Amino acid sequence: MRETHLNRWSRLGTALAVSSALGLVSGAAMANQKLVELQQNNENWVMQGKDFSGTHYSTQTQINKKNVNRLRPSWSFSTGVLNGHEGAPLVVDGTMYIHTPFPNNTFAIDLDEPGVIKWEHKPKQDPAARAVACCDVVNRGLAYWPGDEKTPAMIVKSQLDGHVVALNAETGEVHWKVENADISVGQTETAAPFVAKDLVIQGSSGAELGVRGYVTAYDIHTGEMAWRWYATGPDSDIGLHKDFNSENPHYGQKGLGTKTWEDNAWKIGGGTNWGWYAYDPDLNMFYYGSGNPAPWNETMRPGDNKWTMTIWGRDLDTGLAKFGYQKTPHDEWDYAGVNVMMLSEQKDKNGKMRKLLTHPDRNGIIYTLDRETGDLVSANKMDDTANWVKKVDLETGLPIRDPEYSTRMGHRSRDICPSAMGFHNQGFDSYDPERELFYLGLNHLCMDWEPFMLPYRAGQFFVGANVWSYPGPKGDRQNGIGSGQVKAYNAITGEFAWEKMEKFSVWGGTMATKGGLVFYGTLDGFIKARDADNGDLLWKFKLPSGAIGHPMTYTHNGTQYVAINYGVGGWPAVGLVFDLNDPSAGLGAVGAFKELAKNTQMGGGVMVFAIDGKSPYDDLSVGEYEM
Amino acid sequence: MKFKTIAVTCSALMMLSGGTAVMAYDGTNCEAPGNCWEAKPGFPEKIKGSKYDPKHSEKELNKQQEALNAMEKRNAQRVANFKKTGNWEY
Repeated sequence: MRETHLNRWSRLGTALAVSSALGLVSGAAMANQKLVELQQNNENWVMQGKDFSGTHYSTQTQINKKNVNRLRPSWSFSTGVLNGHEGAPLVVDGTMYIHTPFPNNTFAIDLDEPGVIKWEHKPKQDPAARAVACCDVVNRGLAYWPGDEKTPAMIVKSQLDGHVVALNAETGEVHWKVENADISVGQTETAAPFVAKDLVIQGSSGAELGVRGYVTAYDIHTGEMAWRWYATGPDSDIGLHKDFNSENPHYGQKGLGTKTWEDNAWKIGGGTNWGWYAYDPDLNMFYYGSGNPAPWNETMRPGDNKWTMTIWGRDLDTGLAKFGYQKTPHDEWDYAGVNVMMLSEQKDKNGKMRKLLTHPDRNGIIYTLDRETGDLVSANKMDDTANWVKKVDLETGLPIRDPEYSTRMGHRSRDICPSAMGFHNQGFDSYDPERELFYLGLNHLCMDWEPFMLPYRAGQFFVGANVWSYPGPKGDRQNGIGSGQVKAYNAITGEFAWEKMEKFSVWGGTMATKGGLVFYGTLDGFIKARDADNGDLLWKFKLPSGAIGHPMTYTHNGTQYVAINYGVGGWPAVGLVFDLNDPSAGLGAVGAFKELAKNTQMGGGVMVFAIDGKSPYDDLSVGEYEM
Repeated sequence: MKFKTIAVTCSALMMLSGGTAVMAYDGTNCEAPGNCWEAKPGFPEKIKGSKYDPKHSEKELNKQQEALNAMEKRNAQRVANFKKTGNWEY
């Protein structure tokens, strides 16, 4: 395939490339500032996490506790694609950008007349990419870069087949397209790109096929790779700053990316990073989590398996790691810690104002770190049923494991909580800075686990464990329901302000608003709004299909809208999507969600809501044929 | 300091258990900071040559890096052409 694009800026040619290199700092800073301004403007939802801090919190109040019960559909858009729709649309300057799972189509919609598609990008992909996707063919969304005097504004996307593509935000034309993963060796892309300054940061997927994780940055102007660092292997591959973990040497420092593996197992050791990113412009550091080691069978990889399962704090410009904290050394349960990173400024228990990072991990622990030093501030169970760990020792940073729930060859471990799907998975949660509460969309799932041996062949599945997941003790295991929770958490006190059970997982996460509301979607296809103070259910609407993405909100022409993707799928719904019945199929998900198909079916699109359903089409002339 | 605390604690526990690491693995018996894994009772320290040896093929293990290196090379050529011509060619 040969793709060409005549760059309309090409007249500036080589001269611009030179000036780009020379003027990178000032130009990047300007673009960054523009991106911050867009984040702060409620007419936009310019990145998946709403802002660099990943608060997923809007200061809008037009929709609030008093009137949310009048929320009604305004308009909807079908993507024409089934499978799981993770992530959320973006809105920038009156245009909504919508993404889909494989085949990873992208649509630009004019919010003045949302029935008309401004442009669409439909990439041609190798269908074989579907066969190496571990857990449905999801994609977590788009990124936006605001443009500068040299380069037009861009929409950046990832494709399951491993490409990262920058599109002209106005026209949808391909500006550049690079290969970031090779499906022939099991590498795929499901993570949303993350843009800061003039860099596009892209993660990696495929740990279930033994893919060694890596994070890569590309220059938004040219697509040139700025840096690439790995999760495992020699320090020179991992990208450790000279002062790496100097504030917390007990986390481990040099040489551990190889020492904590037997022989060359680090080359196929996983640690992919398909989750979310956050960025602190003051520190110029970005944060993300690396995922599970490969294979799942722990007996096949002796060692702590550094630096899988790690919260990373890296310098944006160089990518070098200032700190790394491994949450689950030598993982035995697939607790892939790629979960959302939410940044806040709060006083700790001693009254000291600190820059914090809060991370609800798949292993059932919610961690809060000082994001400048990596110091562990708190680590609490998100649900008291988490049993693989007794507690996290804040002094040493080590989880104190309960050997009763360990896994090993020749043994079926039972009633391990959480399940491999975690108490928290890929959902994008929210932080309300006024209430100082994190709103968590959770799974309530436990499991049985039995490992088995298998050889590594590049491009083939490399898991090595049979898993049976089911609702946790607070759910209805017999009837396969009660597998979700929503909670409000204070990271300083460690207390939960409120908690509610859900029929199924709250897979996509939450969005909070200054209107005192917490929005989220459910696997069985509801979008709900709860009172941020007490969790009371104030509003809900049944979507055409289950929701595994996260809500977003924006204002257009003075009206506040709430939007959410619908389209059930992803790991929890692989049984429904691929018509599987064996309870251990779908890496253990089929049994856990055996009742889901009685509650929803496949679909794919976006639904948009406003008070009383106010819509651009209230003006009946909009979209009409005129002579 | 923190690691010293771990080491002392671990030494005391080792003595109580007769000086061998036969206790069930709880992840706190560290050989060095950040290196706290130990074999579970009945399992070997090294799996190479044991019945759990996955017998990895070095050729297979190297394929991912070879693929990434090849992609990086192709991408660099595309970028060079883009900088030269203003056209992105794939």
